[in-house]
Amino acid sequence: MDKKKAVDDTEPGPTPSWPVDRFGFIKPEQGSSPDGISKSTSVHERERERDERRLRKWRKMIGVGGSDWKHYVRRNPHVVKRRIRKGIPDRLRGLVWQLISGSRDLLLMNPGVYETLVIYETSASELEIIRDISRTFPSHIFFQQRHGPGQRSLYNVLKAYSVYDRDVGYVQGMGFLAGLLLLYMSEEDAFWLLVALLKGAVHAPMEGLYQAGLPLVQQYLYQFEKLVLEHMPKLGQHFIEEMINPSMYASQWFITVFSYSFPFHLTVRVWDVFLYEGIKVVFQVGLALLRFCHDELVKLPFEKLLHAFRNFPEEATDPDVLLPLAFTFKVSSHLEELEKEYQKRLEGSNASTSTKRSQPLKLKTMSRIASRAFGNSTNNSEK
Amino acid sequence: MAANAGNKIRNAKLVLLGDVGAGKSSLVLRFVKGQFVEFQESTIGAAFFSQTLAVNDETVKFEIWDTAGQERYHSLAPMYYRGAAAAIVVYDITNPASFTRAKKWVQELQAQGNSSTVVALAGNKADLLETRQVQIEEAKTYAQENGLFFMETSAKTAINVNDIFYEIAKRLIQGQPAQNPQAGMVLSQRPNERLVSSSSCCS
Repeated sequence: MDKKKAVDDTEPGPTPSWPVDRFGFIKPEQGSSPDGISKSTSVHERERERDERRLRKWRKMIGVGGSDWKHYVRRNPHVVKRRIRKGIPDRLRGLVWQLISGSRDLLLMNPGVYETLVIYETSASELEIIRDISRTFPSHIFFQQRHGPGQRSLYNVLKAYSVYDRDVGYVQGMGFLAGLLLLYMSEEDAFWLLVALLKGAVHAPMEGLYQAGLPLVQQYLYQFEKLVLEHMPKLGQHFIEEMINPSMYASQWFITVFSYSFPFHLTVRVWDVFLYEGIKVVFQVGLALLRFCHDELVKLPFEKLLHAFRNFPEEATDPDVLLPLAFTFKVSSHLEELEKEYQKRLEGSNASTSTKRSQPLKLKTMSRIASRAFGNSTNNSEK
Repeated sequence: MAANAGNKIRNAKLVLLGDVGAGKSSLVLRFVKGQFVEFQESTIGAAFFSQTLAVNDETVKFEIWDTAGQERYHSLAPMYYRGAAAAIVVYDITNPASFTRAKKWVQELQAQGNSSTVVALAGNKADLLETRQVQIEEAKTYAQENGLFFMETSAKTAINVNDIFYEIAKRLIQGQPAQNPQAGMVLSQRPNERLVSSSSCCS
């Protein structure tokens, strides 16, 4: 079934020493990756000192292995929010992501579950997952090696999830979420973070992004279009005249939470905030991208617009520029209204289906869901 | 609509449909950029490209929508094939399931009922002859029965890639409905419409 075998015997064995950027992506030839910009050594020095200072603060804040985290968040939620918006130190990112997403709790409540899903269960999606493995972050050193540790972990996490939730199974796009997580944490941790996001440990569940009909993608796109019209009426109108539908540029923003075809240094900063503050951040970042390029975009015709969406200028993808701009958009209450409006329209057009309100699950019920899903799958599987 | 006015530019919306990993994105990248990468990142949602082709004294400008192949993304597809002047339905000659899926796409396009859409069937990965599983005759017969034109292509070696787009461009100019190549009637040729018709299904 391995159709590519015939052509990829050039695949290297041990990892060769390609030039990679600080995140492990192989640099394009004479590439000018964002962190490759030549800066004077004094600027570098100052940045390094700032990073060290931040790291010390963060270490103090979370305690050993995250032991002080909950306590600190309860006492100083605003400090935490501010610091996260400035960026989580890369060295602590994996741990902090698990703390803020609620995945660490899921892991502790479900010992042994991941292992069982990986080792003893079979998934109907296995072939589909395999076909996509080498097409997920193909330019990252960790995922490059055929059947290497990166590809194996990615496969395991995706397979485990497809067993854990057989209704969702595996959907293209999930690989980018899992791949991103695996760059910062172990397989099992990445799996539980995926569960926390999709099943809604802290924020509203996002599994609707991947369910049949992609209901949540449709809803987010509806909300996004309305927000654009409200915050940038001229641009929103221009999109309508040019027949630009948000699905043409924003569906991948939502489906992969900016982890697909997006500058990685920005992706991780978006994720810092997204995991803490929720999906509204994706809307805010999307709006900020459009706002940043607004005066250019309103002049462009259909085709050039589509090109522009793929090629945002480098200044626009600087997280220290884009994120502050993103936070100027106040969207929370409007998002709620638009969700209700959208659900009403759905019910109007399809009276028979009742859509459930998406509320975050309480962590307590999570473990039950885990064991139930797990129990079902055991019954279904035929070894 | 004879081609009398020299150097007309005609916009044509073209959509690529087909199974996961059949090589839709690779075909487009070969055609648009002349490139090929072994491990092409999966397409999430859809991607847009454009490329012009000169055919005799006319120029066809393709506005190409490359779609995600997975079944789950099906609900997004109609937006891209509606109003398309042409479609390339792609399968992988080493994967029979992808051929089955291609037939489903053809059916769906036919059910849409736009008889002026030029539909091409591309049997991609034609360089992988040793692992071929879909016989060329089978695909040819199917294409004939359904009024498609058919080519085996290889995005990797570039075989037939420009040719398939060129052939589409030619047919668009001739205004020949693909479903009925023998018919001498020329259907009305609208300037490319990006119209997304309202109503009509999809969950």
